[in-house]
Formats: sequence, structure tokens, C-alpha cells
Amino acid sequence: MASISIRNLVKRYGNFTVIPDLNLEIADHEFVVFVGPSGCGKSTLLRIIAGLEPISSGELYIGDKRVNGVQAAHRDIAMVFQNYALYPHMKVYDNMSFALELRGVSKAEIDARVKRAAALLHIEPYLDRKPKELSGGQRQRVAMGRAIVRNPKAFLFDEPLSNLDAKLRGQVRAEIKALSQELKTTMVFVTHDQIEAMTMADRIVVLQSGTIQQYDTPETVYERPANQFVAGFIGSPAMNFFPVAWRQERAILSQGGMVVPLEGESAGRLRLAGDAVLGIRPEHFAVTTEAADGIAVNVKLVEPLGSDTLIHFDLAGVSAIARVDPSLRPKVGDRISLRPQPGKTHLFDASNGQVLR
Amino acid sequence: MTDAANTDRWIRWLNLVQLVLAGIIIMAPTVWMVLSSFKPSFEVTAYPPALIFTPTLENYVELTRTTPFLSYALNSLIVTVGSTALGLLFGIPAAFAVSWTRISWPAILTLAARMAPGTLFLLPWYVMFRQVGMIGSYTALILSHAVITLPIVIWVLLPSFDGIPRSVFEAAQVDGCSVTRILWRIALPLVASGVAVSAILAFVFSWNYFLFALVLSNGDTKTLIAAAFNFIGEGSTQWGALMAAATLIALPPLVLAALVQRWLVSGLTLGAVKG
Repeated sequence: MASISIRNLVKRYGNFTVIPDLNLEIADHEFVVFVGPSGCGKSTLLRIIAGLEPISSGELYIGDKRVNGVQAAHRDIAMVFQNYALYPHMKVYDNMSFALELRGVSKAEIDARVKRAAALLHIEPYLDRKPKELSGGQRQRVAMGRAIVRNPKAFLFDEPLSNLDAKLRGQVRAEIKALSQELKTTMVFVTHDQIEAMTMADRIVVLQSGTIQQYDTPETVYERPANQFVAGFIGSPAMNFFPVAWRQERAILSQGGMVVPLEGESAGRLRLAGDAVLGIRPEHFAVTTEAADGIAVNVKLVEPLGSDTLIHFDLAGVSAIARVDPSLRPKVGDRISLRPQPGKTHLFDASNGQVLR
Repeated sequence: MTDAANTDRWIRWLNLVQLVLAGIIIMAPTVWMVLSSFKPSFEVTAYPPALIFTPTLENYVELTRTTPFLSYALNSLIVTVGSTALGLLFGIPAAFAVSWTRISWPAILTLAARMAPGTLFLLPWYVMFRQVGMIGSYTALILSHAVITLPIVIWVLLPSFDGIPRSVFEAAQVDGCSVTRILWRIALPLVASGVAVSAILAFVFSWNYFLFALVLSNGDTKTLIAAAFNFIGEGSTQWGALMAAATLIALPPLVLAALVQRWLVSGLTLGAVKG
């Protein structure tokens, strides 16, 4: 168990810089999720921590030890790969015991640890099978078992759920979360799925173009996104953005000039900024009966999800979504009135996307 | 019958004709060689050739009576097994290194060496081996035949190693393996059939190679194929014994190829290791 410290890290491939200058502190026992779109550098960063990619410049510490030039074999970390990367010619038991055998652990100790991990992951019946005889979910568990038996300083997960079907993904996600609480080991998890990030992490690192956009708890990242990118990336369906302006002591949509009912701090911030981008999450719209209280929109599409209903509409030239109570079932073409919930709106600088506070 | 069906029928017929022609071209010399080895010696070169004859083993008896055939066979075996082992010993790590580093020029270099005519190597080798007094030794023959076996091993194994998902190697690295250990514990077991195929091909090519043994061997180390050449003399070629020798020489590679035919085809098309 150990902390991970990344200082002024730069990663280049030839003339192409993937990570320009990154600083990150992961505390001991912490579950940190790297999330971001494809090509944002999250997997590269994980592979750098694992020792599978060299660092162009900067420093990497695992615990108190600087590990820049230390080979993966000597970093004492365990990694679960996207395609599981099990050894196809070895039985499940041998897959799990291999790393311990390399470290000269006694046979009795190996046996005890493998069986303990197998019990934890419910894979005892498969110990004598080869990986090709297992389902995707079982292979995934074996890959985790291979990591667990080692008692490493840190676990690294590289999108381990992306090859599983939706139902299994939810199940394994919960299992990994439970494991992290039981093992109390530093865990770094890479995903492009923001639901995985939100449900599992103690803290989330939101990455874009090799730069950390925000590093905070899931609640903070969701409720107080640092910029428009984070606001748009975290949350499903994504946050709606509308260009707004402060005119004649009122907030109006830049296109169309409709009045937006903004109150309190938000109104104050827009007054100071003059122009901004207003962000409203789909779940933070309320449907009002009084047309004067809200913004009148035409319903373009209705998606009943059971637990709630998504209403698609166009506003100020932007295609937007509202998540409303499932009992509301407007029809396509109906005119409804939506009102942003007080205190749930976000304002971003129109020039650089940073949140206005 | 429609035009399309007619065309299909013609294509099937043409395919069949092509196969039969190819079969005749490939098999005719072999069949002729085997049949001739069982003909009385005076009938071997008779014209027109006799298709009906009383089979005899006289050529085989003559072969073993007049030549140290078993000694030559043993020499062939020593040189072939030795050069195949040498090819595997250096070819396996070389193919793995090329696959691991993705630096392909060493593999291309060995392929160029394999494609170059044997005479290119023969003269320098002859001079070098003579200077160190190794002409006629098994060592000289084994080393020279490694030029045949090494590129075969490398080029048969390269796609096999490339076919193993990179993440399997990376998992082994994270588990604590050195590169050498990854080769022996992870990669090699996964390409076992490729190794077998490369060994068989190397064996066959080395067994059949004629030129180096002709020049670099002596009476004690002459291989079968070089010895068979001695049957062709000026005006007094023993065609019957030559055919018997050729049949016996061709036997091990043919038997080997027949035994592992399916494996050979799958091994040559090997490229993916599925977990």
C-alpha cells in the first residue's frame, strides 16, 4: 500500500506531446478514477505508473521511492488489463500463482493466497480450467484474482469493464468497489465511462488532451464542475449549454432574446460578466404550469425510461434535453414551460469555458 | 441451364484440370524415381520405359553392399539435427527479439542471407574452415547448414510471436518477469506448434541441402545427398542404385511432412493466440 505522486510529468512520442505537464497526488488507500474521452492520455498515464511506458521528463513516486527508471517488474504494482491478458496456456490457478512463484513465495503460502482470492471472487470452481473455457465475466474475475494475490502497493485497472455486457458491467463494478473497501489498497482505475467514474471513485481525475481539468470527489465534480468541458463530460444525459447575456437587468438567451429566470448568485455573476454560457443539467429543469415562470419550448421527442422521462427540445438554436417525472407524458409538438431549479444552474466564461464563481 | 451455371461448371472443370496437371508435374518424377528403384538395373534406362515389370530389391542390396549407406545416413542425421538445433537455439530468441522490439532489419537480413545463392557463402567458408583445419568436420557442416535453418526458424516464428497480444507480455512484466523469462515461460509455450513447424521445415531443408556437404565434407562426414552424387560417374552411372538412394533420401522428409501435414498448414498460417 502506497501513495502515488506525479510531479511535472511530460510524455512525448517523437514530436507529439501526449501529456504536457501533469501533477497529481494519489493518497494511500485512495480509489482514483481517470476519466476522459478517447485520446486524452488516461491510459498512457496509467501505463506510465505501471512502468510500461517511459517518462519523457518529470518524476514519479510510488510511496517514498522514485520509480522513473524502475522496470514494471520491480514496482510492486498489479494491473488488470482491458482484454484481461490472462496467460492462455496456464490454468486459472497457475495464472494467479505465477507472480508469487516468481517472487519465491512458498507453495503453502501461494496455495493459501490463491484460494483466499478465489473465494473472494467466487472463482473456486474454475481453478483447474484454462482461460478459454471461461466466460468474459469469469476471465475478468481471474484477472482481478491475479492482481489480488500479490498484495501489491497499488492496483491499476485499464478499462477492465469495457468488454463486458451492460448487466455484468454493473455487477463487476459493484464488486470492484466492494473489493477496494475490503482490501484498502491504493487503486487507480481508467475508464471513459463517467458512470463508472462517479460510482466507484473517492476522487475523479477528469482529463482532456493530457491535462487535468478537475481532480475532486464525484459529488464536487458533478455539482461544481470546474469548467464547461467537465460539466459536459460528467453527467448523463450531458449538461445543456445556452449562450446568455445580461440585458436590462435580466438574463436573456443570446439567440432569440427569451428571458431566462435566473435568481440569486447566478444572476449576480452574469451581471458582472455580461455574457456567459449557461449550463443546466437535464435533471435540473422543472416543468411549470405557469407559462410566465419558465421558458416555453416545443417538445421535439419524448423518451420514457421508466424511472423518468427525457424530453428533447430546441432552445436558442441549441438541441437540449430535460429529465422530468415519468408521470409527465407530453406528446411531440406540445408546448411546455420549463424552469431551471434555483441554485442548480452553472455559468461559464464564454471565452475560456472556466466556471464563473 | 443458365449462363452463370455454365460458367461455374467450366470453372470447376478448369480447376480440376489444373489440379491434375499440377499433380502430374509434381508427382511424376517422384513416382518415376520410386518405380525405377524397384526395376532391374538394365530396365531403369530402357526406352520406351517399361510400365509393367517384376519388382526387385537388387538396387537396394547393391546400394548397401557397395556403399557405407548407413554411415552416410548417420552423417546426414548428425548434420541435420545439429543445424536444426542450432537454428532453434538462436532463431527462437532472435524471432522473439524482433517481435518484441519491432525492429525488423535483422529479420530481413537473415531472409536476404537465405535467398542468396549458397555459392556466395561457400568460398569464404571453405577458406575459413580450411585455415582452422575444420574442413570435413561435422562442426563445419552444422555451422554452414545453420544458414539454411536459422532464417526458416526466424521467419516461421515471427508471425507466431507477433500474434500474441502485447498485453499478455505486459501482464507478465507487471507480474515480475524479465524479458528472458517472458520468452521461456509465456511466449514459447504459446508458439509451441510454430516451433515444431519451424523445426520440421528446418530439418527438411537442411536434410535436402546438397552444396555445402559436397564441398565441406570428407569421406567420413559425407552426407547422404552428397554421397548419392557419387553414383553419377562419367559413362558408368549406376542409375538403379542412384534411384534407390534417392528414394531412401526422400523418405524421411516425406514421412515427416505426411505425419504432421495438418499441423504444418495450421502452423504456417499461425498468427493469433486466442486466450
